[in-house]
Amino acid sequence: MKFIALVLKSAKRSKRRTLLTVMSVAIAVFLFASLRAVLDGFNAATEASSSTRIVTLRSTSLFFSMPTSHAEVIRSTSGVQDLTWANWFGGVYKDPQNFFAQFAIEPESYLRMYPEIELPPEARKAFLDDRTACIVGDGLAKRFGFKVGDKIALQVGIPIYGTRDFDFNVRGIYKSGGAAVDNQSMFFHWKYADERSIQPGQVGWFIAQISNPDQATQVAMAIDQKFANSPNETKTDTEKQFQATFVSMFGNLNLLLGSIALAVVITTLFVAGNTMAMSVRERTTEIAVMRTLGYPSATIFLLVAGEGLMMSIVGGILGVGFARWIVNPDTLQVGAFIPVFGVTNMNVISGLALSALIGVLAGVIPATAASRLKIVDALRRVA
Amino acid sequence: MGLIGSYNLRSMIVRKGTAAMTAGGIAMVVAVFVMTLAIAQGFRATLVASGSPANAIVLRKGSTAESTSGLLRTDVPLIEDLPQLARGADNRPLASPELVVAIALPRQTDNQPANVPVRGVGPKAFEVRDTMKFVEGRQFAQGSREINVGLLAVGRFKGLTLGSDVKFGNATWKVVGIFTADDAAFESEVWGDVDLMMPAFQRGGYQSMTVKLADPSMFESFRDTVDADPRLYLKPQREQDYYTQQSQAMTTIIRAFGAFVTLILSIGAMFGAMNTMYAAVAYRTREIGTLRALGFSRFRVVTAFLAESVALALVGGVIGCILAIPVHGLSTGTTNFTSFSEVAFKFRITPALMAGGLLFSAVMGAVGGLLPAIRAARIPVARALREI
Repeated sequence: MKFIALVLKSAKRSKRRTLLTVMSVAIAVFLFASLRAVLDGFNAATEASSSTRIVTLRSTSLFFSMPTSHAEVIRSTSGVQDLTWANWFGGVYKDPQNFFAQFAIEPESYLRMYPEIELPPEARKAFLDDRTACIVGDGLAKRFGFKVGDKIALQVGIPIYGTRDFDFNVRGIYKSGGAAVDNQSMFFHWKYADERSIQPGQVGWFIAQISNPDQATQVAMAIDQKFANSPNETKTDTEKQFQATFVSMFGNLNLLLGSIALAVVITTLFVAGNTMAMSVRERTTEIAVMRTLGYPSATIFLLVAGEGLMMSIVGGILGVGFARWIVNPDTLQVGAFIPVFGVTNMNVISGLALSALIGVLAGVIPATAASRLKIVDALRRVA
Repeated sequence: MGLIGSYNLRSMIVRKGTAAMTAGGIAMVVAVFVMTLAIAQGFRATLVASGSPANAIVLRKGSTAESTSGLLRTDVPLIEDLPQLARGADNRPLASPELVVAIALPRQTDNQPANVPVRGVGPKAFEVRDTMKFVEGRQFAQGSREINVGLLAVGRFKGLTLGSDVKFGNATWKVVGIFTADDAAFESEVWGDVDLMMPAFQRGGYQSMTVKLADPSMFESFRDTVDADPRLYLKPQREQDYYTQQSQAMTTIIRAFGAFVTLILSIGAMFGAMNTMYAAVAYRTREIGTLRALGFSRFRVVTAFLAESVALALVGGVIGCILAIPVHGLSTGTTNFTSFSEVAFKFRITPALMAGGLLFSAVMGAVGGLLPAIRAARIPVARALREI
């Protein structure tokens, strides 16, 4: 501890160099924390998905629908407690650029099965009572300035819903009570879309509430068996698996973002290691004098390594600070792609751990070199 | 060059440890830059390669993708009869009415179900897309439940190898041929007879029609004829324009992401270069004084140190490009969000992209070296010479 003053003194020796090093670590940690936040954002829905909800799709792919008559069959499967369904609407709000998810849902059962959709009781009632009502997430409401009482017109995106625009009344703005439902979506009555469909009575996917999460696989298999060899075969999976499919659509994000993060760390190691080596070289004579005065080589090692660690951690704190400040849904509009987004405490901790790691790795070679200096040679040398 | 050039170059070699670390930092930045842009480049090239200048694609008015388009059966003969269409050896028009749906198949890599595009095509499809070549097997026979699979799809999804049976649309289909298409998006698709696919997928109409024009210059007259026909609520587009537009959104996102990451990372690397150059200037104060005393102007000293910094960065840039090269040609995939199905594509590093990487490294070197170089030139000669 008593050497802290000495470490600070040597860091201040070349203020510009210390500043540049601290800033380059800060940038690396900023990038690292942001990349982690993006990746976590993508995976959040999968992580938070319920283990008691299972999703039934057409086995061909999610672009195919099945008749509402499936509902009774699924409901009668043992282990199934509750059932709801939804369709993807794919409408366009003014411009295709304004993409957001719209779901036609069976309203009562859906709200019952998704407590994550948090809606004030009067808004809930208003939504259920109005056939052309919709509810929007608070994030979406903020993005487009939707307010309760507004009318939203959506152009039809999927030809099955005809060519006429759909008008909706905003009856409520919901908050997301869990990452399984994001706050960037719009929900409305399935009946409203269905009555204008060219092919009525079709459902995109069914969601079943099961009593025992351990039985998810058995119940899923039992459901699929009931429709085997029918014209509308199904594939039932846990909600987690269903969500994971969407994440994997983007491609191998883990690999891509992981490699970039690795490159970031290596770059910073080069920069920080270089600086430390430079500052040690500059101080060769000084270190030799300290050794002559009797400082053991272990102390010299700690002094040099400590300086690297300190600069690195200061950079790390700056970096996560920046990331916290900039990478959040209020400053960056990425809602349509990454529903849950922001630098979490976990990201902060891993960013700081990374900065410490960079400090140790970058400091270790110069510190070893400094502690192994031959006093005689070093004293003789003119820097 | 002369004395001052070789002096700077040789000083760089003397300080090889530091120089290597700085170059290493810049190399990583350039490698990330080239690799992320190679993704954007590859994705774009794949979609653009799907369009041929002589082809036009006909969609329903107002739809921007095949998935949201619809064509009536009765529309087909109306278009086939138009005089602008090229004709085959049998004097039949080169036109293919098509249906595109997606089926869920597990990926080879992570076993996750992905949406694989299945395209039902007309008998003339392989003449309309003349880049298609069979690497294994043969073309599917009309009227049979046989399919052809693109080479990239075979590698990316399970169960699509030659001779295997694939179950979809309540029927079983046999893979009888594997094709390539000059890296076009079709290589990620499964092709079969549209007249069998339509009932299999319970569809009552086509989604698009691709035609080969007798001559690319006839596109305008073809478009105007279709436009003028009151029976057709359709919009022809040049196939190339259509696919370029399809790639736009994704390419923009990847490029923006790549630019964001490399820009921030490059600031870190520039700090590194700056550090190195400041140190270089500080170590050589006496030498700089000597140079100035010998009559080299301030300007020459600035340019010399700038050149040293840029050269250092360029070495890093070259290493970065070399580091990135192994990913060239690797195939990967992502979802094309306009069709919501997966497209496989290859990382594509072009000479222009590498030149961009080198230019980027030179800029990093110049920006990082500018302040230290000015400092070098500002050192008063007398004081510099006195320095130990």
